[in-house]
Amino acid sequence: MTQNVSVDDETARQFLEGMLRIDIFEEETKERFGEGEIPGFVHLSGGHEGSHIGMGAAMGDDDWLAVGGARLIGQYIAKGVPLPDIMAELYGRVGGSNKGHGGQMHVSDIGRKLYGHAATIGSGQNPAVGLALAEEIQETDNVAVTTIGDGGTSRGSFHTALVFAAYWDLPVVFVIENNEWAISTPAESLSPDHLSDYGIPHKMATESIDGSDVEAVYHTVSEAIERARNGGGPTVIESRVARLVPHFEGDKETYRDTDEYERLKEEKDPIENYRERLLERDIVTETGIEDMIANIETEVKEAVEFARESPEPEPEAAYDHVYRTPLYGQGENQ
Amino acid sequence: MSQQLDAETETTTQTIRESLNQALHEELERDERVLLYGEDVAEYGGLYKISEGLYEEFGEERVFDTPLAETSLGGTAVGAALAGARPVVEIMYADFLPIAGDHLINYAAKMYFNYGDETSVPMVVRSMYGTGDGHGLHHGQSPEAWFMNVPGLKVVMPSTPREYKGLLKGAIRDDDPVIFLENKMRYGESGPVPDEEYTISLCESDVKREGTDATIVAIGGMVYEALEAAERLSEQGIECEIVDPRTISPLDTGPILESVEKTNILVTAQEAPTFGGFGSEVAAQVIDDAFFYLDAPVKRVGAPFTPIPFAENLEEAYQPTADDIESAVIDAIET
Repeated sequence: MTQNVSVDDETARQFLEGMLRIDIFEEETKERFGEGEIPGFVHLSGGHEGSHIGMGAAMGDDDWLAVGGARLIGQYIAKGVPLPDIMAELYGRVGGSNKGHGGQMHVSDIGRKLYGHAATIGSGQNPAVGLALAEEIQETDNVAVTTIGDGGTSRGSFHTALVFAAYWDLPVVFVIENNEWAISTPAESLSPDHLSDYGIPHKMATESIDGSDVEAVYHTVSEAIERARNGGGPTVIESRVARLVPHFEGDKETYRDTDEYERLKEEKDPIENYRERLLERDIVTETGIEDMIANIETEVKEAVEFARESPEPEPEAAYDHVYRTPLYGQGENQ
Repeated sequence: MSQQLDAETETTTQTIRESLNQALHEELERDERVLLYGEDVAEYGGLYKISEGLYEEFGEERVFDTPLAETSLGGTAVGAALAGARPVVEIMYADFLPIAGDHLINYAAKMYFNYGDETSVPMVVRSMYGTGDGHGLHHGQSPEAWFMNVPGLKVVMPSTPREYKGLLKGAIRDDDPVIFLENKMRYGESGPVPDEEYTISLCESDVKREGTDATIVAIGGMVYEALEAAERLSEQGIECEIVDPRTISPLDTGPILESVEKTNILVTAQEAPTFGGFGSEVAAQVIDDAFFYLDAPVKRVGAPFTPIPFAENLEEAYQPTADDIESAVIDAIET
């Protein structure tokens, strides 16, 4: 017997659809990367889809998301960045969210309040505290949610962000996606029982939840956001997920135990588990899911088409947007 | 472009310390988005009393103290600037800037580039450098070369009270992230400052003294040493032109090249070690664009390639001075 469904049917279907969108988009990304169409390297979100979608659904449009960790594409999708914008950025094209200046690790979108600059892992938390500071000074009730992986919590910058958030008692929700692996280094070697325990000395609210359960994430992050909005200060959440993909595409994962990996794929796939849960309660039908998948596949196909047709940046674009104000010398169009 | 004071401009003689305090006061008053925060900047007024009285005037919402973590000073300024504030943060000593370096180099500097639209991070990081006070290894290094290699950052190093005030106001109104470096040994220097409100734009070099025989490009506190050297050389019949870039990066090379084309001699002066420093970049720019105007090899005045020593006699030997500039000019001319 699977777990109950604690949200209304429409929300439940949206959760499933959101997770499938990440999965299908990323499967296509993997293909396109394998074919050599997408340059650089890619990190996929397999196993994190529930955590991303639950968190995204809990946030208001005016709440900031300052991303961190390595599982980023799912977070961009969860914050509502259109698929063509993301795909074209992965391709490094002018139609991308960042006009090809950023790439996979730096998708950002000011209109959607996505702070997407986080590739020195563990650094996004301080800007998130600054975002919350500015929102508070401007007397809005907007909240900053910020994500980090288990690996990033070892960086000092994560801890100074906790110090500042607590000192100013700001509306920040720290979400630690603990997938047990910092590339090949296991999180179990870290001393806290739960990584959310890092919030305890700062007298913050802390929660450790099964991050493969989209509803658990949704409820926990919603409560934390609500508390932050109402002046209740920061929360640290550990979202325990399984990394069901390599660190990046091409990582052979020789460091993982095969049986354990198979068990996780069997038990901790957020999409498969949720699909069964909704089917069992007749919230969706097999046909309904097939339609959902077909629609998403079309969306993704269109995103790829958009990316392919979007031109490469002109060479001069390398010098664009270095400085806002006019200047002499470096950074100008030569 | 020359920034000589108009003869009719009413001025008051005041110190760099007073000028900075006024600049902060005026900008906090002008724009409610401006915030001032850092370690001991509020009630204490800053370690060097630059922000004295501002907390009392503007309250804890605008001027506030933080815990001791430069990482968060840099990082929160990036976030706050992105969300509509115009933060001015004080990093007590420039030696602590590397602690905030991740956020300055990897984030502040790249935000406008990465968003690719009109989004930028208007933030100012004020920090203090300058040696000669026996503060040793970690309380006086000149950090401009650490940051001038980072596209997206603006590095400002004023010299006179007038420029400290005008450039700080200019930096606060600038839409790019600015590292604003203050020479702690010169806070007591005084000079004329216009009574009327004014700002000075970033990225504009200034000619501090006109001359025909040699060009000295000096930055920050070394501008005073260059002026002293120029006076002495003038007594020997050598007239030096002093160019003060004021903004280290991005560099306004025009006035430097024009000056070298006139004098045919280049000497640079900085407090930081010479190797890999600002003077080396100026020399390279001149070699690129005005090589055939040079009559002699370029001379670079700076500190030796060694940490700032503590012992009084060692520190004195370490510090570049007017004497060094004077000898460098004579050496170049006699080559």
